[in-house]
Amino acid sequence: MSGLGVDLMWIRRARRGSVASVATPTSLRAFVLGSAALAVFATGARAQDFEAPAPAWPIGSACVLLERGLPASTPTPTLEGVVTRWHGLAALTTRAVSGALGWRSARLGVGLSQTGEPDVGWTALAMAVGAAGSNGGGALRAVARRDRTSPFRFDARGADVGVEIGGGAWISAATALHVWASAPQLWTRGAAPPLARPLEVGGALDLGDVVVWLGRAAVAGYPRGGRGEHTLGLFTGAGPLGVWLVARDQPLRGGLGVAARARVLRVAAEVESHPVLGETARMSLGLGGER
Amino acid sequence: MFVAAFALPLLVLSICAPSSHPIIAEVFYDAVGDDTGHEFVEIFNPAAVPFALGGARLEAGDGAGAGRWSLRWSGAATDTIAAGGRFVVGGALVVPAPNALASLDLQNGPDAVRLVWPDGAVEVVGYGAHTLAEYFCGAPVVDAPSGQSLARIPDDSDVGSNAQDFRAATPSPAAANLPGRDAALIAGTLAIVPEQPAAGTPATLAGAVHNHGAELIAEREVEIAVGETLAGSETPLGSAFVDAQLAPGDTARFAIPLPGLAAGKRLLRVRARLAGDASSANDLDSLRVRIGAGPLEVTEIQFHPGNGEGEWVEVRNRAGAPLSLTDFSLSDRRGAPGQPADGSDVLAAESLAVLAQDRVAFLAHFPALDTSRVREVKPWASLNNSNDSAGVADVVTLRESDGTPCDRVPYSAAGVPAGVPLERRADGFWAPATDPLGSPLAPPRALPPLSGRFAVSPRRLLAQGSRATSIGWDLPWPRARIVVELYDLAGRRVAQVLPETEVPARGERVWSASELPPGLFVLALVARAEDGVESMTLTQPLRIEGSAP
Repeated sequence: MSGLGVDLMWIRRARRGSVASVATPTSLRAFVLGSAALAVFATGARAQDFEAPAPAWPIGSACVLLERGLPASTPTPTLEGVVTRWHGLAALTTRAVSGALGWRSARLGVGLSQTGEPDVGWTALAMAVGAAGSNGGGALRAVARRDRTSPFRFDARGADVGVEIGGGAWISAATALHVWASAPQLWTRGAAPPLARPLEVGGALDLGDVVVWLGRAAVAGYPRGGRGEHTLGLFTGAGPLGVWLVARDQPLRGGLGVAARARVLRVAAEVESHPVLGETARMSLGLGGER
Repeated sequence: MFVAAFALPLLVLSICAPSSHPIIAEVFYDAVGDDTGHEFVEIFNPAAVPFALGGARLEAGDGAGAGRWSLRWSGAATDTIAAGGRFVVGGALVVPAPNALASLDLQNGPDAVRLVWPDGAVEVVGYGAHTLAEYFCGAPVVDAPSGQSLARIPDDSDVGSNAQDFRAATPSPAAANLPGRDAALIAGTLAIVPEQPAAGTPATLAGAVHNHGAELIAEREVEIAVGETLAGSETPLGSAFVDAQLAPGDTARFAIPLPGLAAGKRLLRVRARLAGDASSANDLDSLRVRIGAGPLEVTEIQFHPGNGEGEWVEVRNRAGAPLSLTDFSLSDRRGAPGQPADGSDVLAAESLAVLAQDRVAFLAHFPALDTSRVREVKPWASLNNSNDSAGVADVVTLRESDGTPCDRVPYSAAGVPAGVPLERRADGFWAPATDPLGSPLAPPRALPPLSGRFAVSPRRLLAQGSRATSIGWDLPWPRARIVVELYDLAGRRVAQVLPETEVPARGERVWSASELPPGLFVLALVARAEDGVESMTLTQPLRIEGSAP
């Protein structure tokens, strides 16, 4: 008999043992199989309303503009729909639609998102404006949230509205080296956001068909530098297909994503594992945008 | 006057142990409580031939002044002490009965006793802080604590000083102070493991034996036998040899397997056997044990009252017949047993009663209860609120008036919400009461069925209010160990809601998230079946409302 302390070994065994059939719904299993049965490693989820399945670099998704304030280098218009099931919980599913367009260096994005069942969920409306070129860009983003009252409808109840405003920027420091920073919640008012998101910084080395990136995100509730979450990612593409792997700490976990493009149509999926919780799965369907 | 006139010449002749004479081997002058009848002086004859005591005088000396000796006993012509034997002069309550009855009326030190022989030889034994040399030999012995005697150790010690020849010891009239061979059971060490075995279930009797003699005891020389007295005859239950070698003063533990016994109260008698054992008085001990459940069981424990009602314990009469609560005692792991006070009426079969720390305060908090079934216990065993290193906060113990165990409940305070009692469920499992106030004099409230394996209600905690939520589970195993942890939306561990705890299949906990910041969280319940093989992880979202900082 073990002691009264937490025995992480048996918790992990529980995740991988007979438990899986309890915590993982059939639809998610199908999703995992459809993602080449590679759901072994995964990454934790940091964003909350508009997190699309995509590598950290290159930046091309309207969701990245809305969630992190990082605009695409090209003004190509994009339209994207994303479905996220958090930690295998049907009660925590996010459905989001977002769009972005640009004119010369100006960028604009808007999005609407709905998360969770009525007693835990909310509806979010987001907008971002910024500017970008081939060597860098930046944007301000704002999100307003309100609690939901019923499933499948973008309605709200009479609770406080929560608003957060932040921004981000990226720059190409060298031909293949890109760095970025994002502080999505510089200013918050009203109801608190579901997830506190302090500063996140990162850098990517783009070698053409292979991209490697590193990231560090501060964790709310700890003094600056006291605790951080680190990310290591690898992306490779071949023609219309792309695959990426991500590893993350606190707790240690990993993920895998795949994407395919046919003309202007782009589909992507990503699965993130967790040593205790169920997998977080994302699927997106997009028009336009970058690789 | 007569005594004082002889004091000076006798003092000149006095020595610590006159040769060719019996010697004073033990003096007991301060019994616990009233000394009357318990005092004794033991005279030891170390010679190989008997010695006549006719004309010998035993005198008591009052150290408060010079020459204050008075006669306590004098030997008759027929009094003889055998070769190597002992002659005890003492009161009527000395056990075994003394050879000569005398009211010694010895005082606590500084005082003395002396033995004056017809041939003029004198032996003095002085104790306490003396200023007059006539009351001791060499140096006086330090006063013995109440209940202990001054014993010459070894029994024929003669090093020229009372202080070195004598020391405080357990009284042993008519027995050697330091026998050559003596294996002794150490009082209070007998125990049965488990303490209350089920009927027909093997158990183990454990205890400790001590080499009380001056000689080495070899391995397997001491045999410990345990038996039970039934219908006037003793039935052997088992025995074992002590495998350890015992040097003088050494102690060794023993364990004797016992066969399964029938349900009920049992009196086990244990005996240490050693060839040539010089003292049989310390070879026997006994232990009252309970096989199976007792007539009264603990059903609910309030160890951390939150509303001034005092601690209380609910008990149930499971004897099938009425019983009197005053025949039982309640204690914790370390405290003295407390007795239920006031009220002499009996508790009906299958009825519940409350044993309260403060009856008035308890009834003020639960005014609708049947007051005749609420008893105050004095002294109350204060029950601990926090666990020790073994994960046990305290042990609630019921015993019958003769000391026989009745019920024993070790409990853990981990994961028990503040102010909520522990209750015994219908399946015998202990868990926090489903009613946070407890259910004194009523059975536990049954939990409603869950729609799934894991439920959190409510899942949204408002910014105002207690921010408390109920965490319920319904597992596919009779018992399990669970851990409940809280993660944020990004999968980072935020808090441990419930440490690893043994729970029944269906259970609930009330948990307050008052210390947490607002946000969206995931509660993860990780459960492992009692057999440790099967396990599962169950998750539920939890929204905590609040304003942005």
